Amino acid sequence: MSLLHAEYLKLSRRKLFPVMLGLLAILMGFVGVLFYVILPALPDSAQAGAAVPQRPDAYIYGAVQVAGQAWWFAVILATTMLGGEVAGTVWATSLTRDSRKILHIAVRFLVFAAASWLAFLLGTAVFAAITFFAADGSGAPAVSEWLGLLWKFAVISAAWTSIGLGAVALTRSIAVAMGIALGLSFVDSIVAPFVDFYEKMSLTAASNGIFGVGGEGPFSNLVPGSGMSTAHSLAIMAGWSLVGLGLTWWGLQRRDA
Amino acid sequence: MSSSPAIRVTGLEKRYGETHALRGLDFEIPSGQLTGFLGPNGAGKTTTFRSVLGLTRPNAGEMEMLGMPVPQRLQEVVKRVGVIVEEPGILKTLSGRVNLVVAADTLGFGHERIDEMLEFVGLAPEAHRKAGDYSKGMRQRLALAAAMLGDPELLILDEPLDGLDPAGQLAFRARLRDLTEQGRTVVVSSHDLADIEALADYVIVIDHGRLVTQGSLESLLGGQRTRVIVSEPQRASDILAAAGQANEIDEDGLLVDSNDGSAIIEILAREGIYPSEVRQARSTLESVFVGITSGGDL
Repeated sequence: MSLLHAEYLKLSRRKLFPVMLGLLAILMGFVGVLFYVILPALPDSAQAGAAVPQRPDAYIYGAVQVAGQAWWFAVILATTMLGGEVAGTVWATSLTRDSRKILHIAVRFLVFAAASWLAFLLGTAVFAAITFFAADGSGAPAVSEWLGLLWKFAVISAAWTSIGLGAVALTRSIAVAMGIALGLSFVDSIVAPFVDFYEKMSLTAASNGIFGVGGEGPFSNLVPGSGMSTAHSLAIMAGWSLVGLGLTWWGLQRRDA
Repeated sequence: MSSSPAIRVTGLEKRYGETHALRGLDFEIPSGQLTGFLGPNGAGKTTTFRSVLGLTRPNAGEMEMLGMPVPQRLQEVVKRVGVIVEEPGILKTLSGRVNLVVAADTLGFGHERIDEMLEFVGLAPEAHRKAGDYSKGMRQRLALAAAMLGDPELLILDEPLDGLDPAGQLAFRARLRDLTEQGRTVVVSSHDLADIEALADYVIVIDHGRLVTQGSLESLLGGQRTRVIVSEPQRASDILAAAGQANEIDEDGLLVDSNDGSAIIEILAREGIYPSEVRQARSTLESVFVGITSGGDL
């Protein structure tokens, strides 16, 4: 518990976390403006089939937007925090106080993933607030749907946090690690709709599968993860989380601290 | 004071590619003393510390710290050891005090000693300032406070005085003396031979990854000789030799193999020779160091 407290202190006393939260809130505010102000103002022909979300579905729609677009939050947090430590002597100093490397990795993973999870909830709350005032329709999702967001965000933040940790442990460079994660996200979303084999392990597909995105529409086959079971989606996220953590351990083990 | 060595290293080897940083290094660091760990740049001092602390994996050799084999039992022993290795891992965005809270939490200890340690290193009035705003000397003292939080038996300090201004060095040296007087084992590597000469009880010198010499500072500096300046050195030399005082003549006068200056004066005075100067003849650590190592940059 004391190690968790140490990591919490290191994160909470930095400006990075509140600044990133602010950016996420602004981003979700912008998404809200896009959907509830700009999109309805466009002529039908310019809307390209995009429908303005309406309550109650619009609330969960915001959560899907967060899950699909705010992965960078977990990546930036993980790469910046661990990258800063391994670039200097903070990581080595930590190991001179408690030499259990696996425990240090696990604690950082938990704290960063939890922070990202909170950020995802904040982003959802911002969009929900905009939806409450700006969206047409009425009603709200059932409590069980809101509660479902808790574990859905948890598995997504865990996967992207571990990917960020793995990338920075391997490269020891925050910028390169962010580039790798960005590249992974881009390639993943491009390849998954067209390569069946890869879709079965795609982060994009798993994220869509968790939220049930895709459905029965005419273009659903172009949405990776459309119709993917929750269990399969969870397995993919867990797999990426384990791969990221494994790479983190290997990256920090193969070189001197 | 425990009789077993605080650190024992046998046959330690470390290679970085084709470069041999350590080549079968052997040494023992006695308990309860301040040991100076010396060597030219690239001699392997930091690599040795990092090996003992599990921060790098040696290619061969055996190591013990506080009687336990490391790295096998490192986790058991590491909480009894305070460390400053290379640039101290200070979190510059946090205040000095919060840095110590983080250190205490990482050690798994309570926060009871934080204020005491801030007082000990003289940082209590600055405890709430960001560590990033500290001078280098203040950061070193904060690192010492962090290393002391667990009330360690053994302190390993890698170049703790490096880059400090004279006032910072004085303050840090005073703290090290306090720690030694408390009976702790302190190991200090330093580029400054004068620091080690002023502080250390025991000295280990390594060069090219091998042990050059180890022993008490006194034995290394040859503190058993006396410098005698007289107007008739040859006659004085003969008189002293006849009295059983082995000696030699050099360009500065006589060097007598004794530290009893009164006896030397008495022997010479009986024969009507009155020295203009009698003093202990100590080598400087620098002269000894250059003589026994390759004389590389310190």
